[in-house]
Amino acid sequence: MQWLDAIVQGVLLGGMYAQYALGMALMFGVMRIVNIAHGDVMILLSLIAVSLAGVLPFGNIGLVLVIVPIAVAIGWILQKVILNRVVGADPLPSLIATFGLSIALQNLMLEIWSADTRSLPNSDIASASFQIGPIYLGLLPVIVLVCAFVIAGGLDAVLRYTRFGRGLRAAAADTEAAAMTGVDPKRIYATATAIAVGILGLAAIFAALRATVSPSDGPAQLIYAFEAVIIGGMGSIWGAFLGAMVLGIAQAVGLRVDPGLGILFGHLVFLLVLATRPEGIMARKK
Amino acid sequence: MTGTAILSTHGLVGGYGDFQALFGIDLHLLQGEVIALIGANGAGKSTFLKSVFGLLPVGRDMVRYEGVPVGGTPAHKMVGRGLAMVPEGRRLFAGMTVEENMRVAIDHARLPESEGQWTRDRLFELFPILREKRNQPIEDLSGGQQQMVAISRALLCQPRVLLCDELSLGLAPRVIREIYAVLPEIISGGTSIVLVEQDVSLAREASNRLYCMLEGRITLTGNSNEISRDQIAAAYFGASNAVA
Amino acid sequence: MNTIKQMRVQRATTSSRIAMTIGLFLLLALVAMPWWATSGNIRWAIELCCYIAIAQMWNLLAGYAGLVSVGQQAFIGVAGYMLFVLAQNFGINPFVAVILSLIAPAFLAVPTYFLLRRLDGPYFAIGTWVVAEAVRLATSNIDYVNAGAGMTLRVMTQYSQHEREVAFVILCAILLIVTIGGSYWLLRSRHGLALTAMRDNPVAAASQGVNVGKLRLYIFVAAAVGTGFAGAIYYMAQLRITPSAGFDPFWASMAIFIVMVGGIGSIEGALIGALIYFFADRLFGEFGSAYLIVLGILTLIIALYARGGVWGLLQKLGDHPWFPVRRKLILEE
Repeated sequence: MQWLDAIVQGVLLGGMYAQYALGMALMFGVMRIVNIAHGDVMILLSLIAVSLAGVLPFGNIGLVLVIVPIAVAIGWILQKVILNRVVGADPLPSLIATFGLSIALQNLMLEIWSADTRSLPNSDIASASFQIGPIYLGLLPVIVLVCAFVIAGGLDAVLRYTRFGRGLRAAAADTEAAAMTGVDPKRIYATATAIAVGILGLAAIFAALRATVSPSDGPAQLIYAFEAVIIGGMGSIWGAFLGAMVLGIAQAVGLRVDPGLGILFGHLVFLLVLATRPEGIMARKK
Repeated sequence: MTGTAILSTHGLVGGYGDFQALFGIDLHLLQGEVIALIGANGAGKSTFLKSVFGLLPVGRDMVRYEGVPVGGTPAHKMVGRGLAMVPEGRRLFAGMTVEENMRVAIDHARLPESEGQWTRDRLFELFPILREKRNQPIEDLSGGQQQMVAISRALLCQPRVLLCDELSLGLAPRVIREIYAVLPEIISGGTSIVLVEQDVSLAREASNRLYCMLEGRITLTGNSNEISRDQIAAAYFGASNAVA
Repeated sequence: MNTIKQMRVQRATTSSRIAMTIGLFLLLALVAMPWWATSGNIRWAIELCCYIAIAQMWNLLAGYAGLVSVGQQAFIGVAGYMLFVLAQNFGINPFVAVILSLIAPAFLAVPTYFLLRRLDGPYFAIGTWVVAEAVRLATSNIDYVNAGAGMTLRVMTQYSQHEREVAFVILCAILLIVTIGGSYWLLRSRHGLALTAMRDNPVAAASQGVNVGKLRLYIFVAAAVGTGFAGAIYYMAQLRITPSAGFDPFWASMAIFIVMVGGIGSIEGALIGALIYFFADRLFGEFGSAYLIVLGILTLIIALYARGGVWGLLQKLGDHPWFPVRRKLILEE
């Protein structure tokens, strides 16, 4: 029974990871843009949310309405000012540029917020839970999972069926040819990054509600997001969602085996997927 | 003469970074014409097209579209003005179907599909095989079929000027004939064409006038049916500079 | 037409001859340090040598083999731990153990490479990071190496200060010769040409007969061993190692900063970068996070606007290599 519980908790954990991973799937999976600062940007948004919550009388919904637009703006600026300059065949410049950004951001947050862990004030949502059969489910994690599912579906639909989605896939496939077809690559990338970071904004609030955040948490979230995207398969939104589930379950099972082994199990599963099916679970074998 | 030219270049110079590839190209395209640009590998033909289309930096006044200086305008804005390109090597969007490739063009075209000369139906009449394959990923198509998609994609931008870079590259002779057979229909649809070609006889047959390039300069120009093979050979390989 | 009587290939340039002479002098000065420098200076020298070595190895990987690694700390940590285990738990002479400990990074590098080799660019990088994290977490859970509490190198107390210092400077000299000299030797050999070809266009290089996979494997393992060597020396000097220190991702940040700011793809660049980092650290390290913010932003700016780093900018003023790899054909009449 504890294994069933581990799997259920793993799926719920996967919901949180999916929220980190979906933005990454868009940027990394579709656009092939590396953003090492992905996790740090999320932590930044969480810390901003925590600070705002302390000052302004917003409920959580209000916070979402404030933070997500901030996130969208950050994403747009990030792409326009930094990432558009390093888009291209050579991945090194974007890797290094965002690496530097990550270091700078982490330490900036340390200067502003210090190393203390923070979280959003515990509302009823965070502590509520309900029971299905013998399993206890936290209300918040279920909400997180449902949101992740809806976002994944929405993102997938946008990519497949909308003008924007087609244009983005075209620009990611061949930037110059897309420009020749009338697509403005820089603009479309900026919009996509704005969306990706907007999703991070929502994830940031959930993260701060669910647990504590501190300025140096960024790299860990980055790694989970990458692992989820790669396990699931590049270019696939549902793949990232599935990959997040697999990662969450692996970590939850590992935790059951030994409290110190949760995250390690996740890494081991990731390395296993790399060894046996590097194109990911959802990708079509070429 | 240049007063009625829909596209013209004036002393166009350009290249890649420090490397200059073009040394003052003067060329014009009249409405309803097909002009061919021929020359050996490395003569600068593709570089020229890219410079015209805004993919390489070039001086503002060096390229004029309908008399207006547009040099250096980014490619996606050139599409809005009325140009389109069929690039060398097709360069279709991988991972997307034939129809999706066409819809990207429709989404960002100068005019909506309903108002323009070129619709998907019309293109499927031009290239019937594409109607069959419209929902297949472009990776599943042959080289010739991919070239048809590339041409369709460019036409769906509703261009008044179509730049074609080496349409025949890598295609079997029968397929090349099929592709070139549609050029008259494109002209009658109101689109003028600049044809970059390595195959000289193909270029002469398909065009009204031709230009020959060598090492970044125009070495010959004239009406396609009036220029002799000897003149072309001389201009192509560089024995002398002849102007018909 | 002139008849060419004799030709020779010249590699050295004036600048390189000067650089070689200075380099040799510095090496001798290093080895002589226990007799002329203070203990504090010697500690600094050891640190600087380790930074230089780690940076050279990262440069070899990223600048020449085209493999960007964000996980070299894995090799630093395993070499360090292997050293401690061999010296403390097995009682082997620590200075011999340093050399023996290099087995560990080599053993880790081979499967790591095979695991990650099909990934390109950013995936490879993240993969190396995950491997480093996995090794760190595993180490924190293994009681044989004292898990998270780390290990202390008490056996060093049996040597006098002077004895230790002599051994350290010799080890550092060997480290520099192996890493800088090794890189230079590699670049001058026919493998060097293959590397440059591979860096610019792996497909074309392969078509010319370069065994890209094999060469990358050798470079990866060599870089791992070189990095591990530096790590073993560093932690031997520290006398203490913990998982969070030995496998600290900051090692990766440091290597990236040094090589990018100094100038990627050249031995000179990695040297310059290490010096810049070393002095910046001494001067500004006390400012903690603020200093690191500047480091991060500098890395960002270099990646965006000056991809060749400081050495790249210097090269624009004049071509005066310290480690020339180009061959010049001299015609003699």
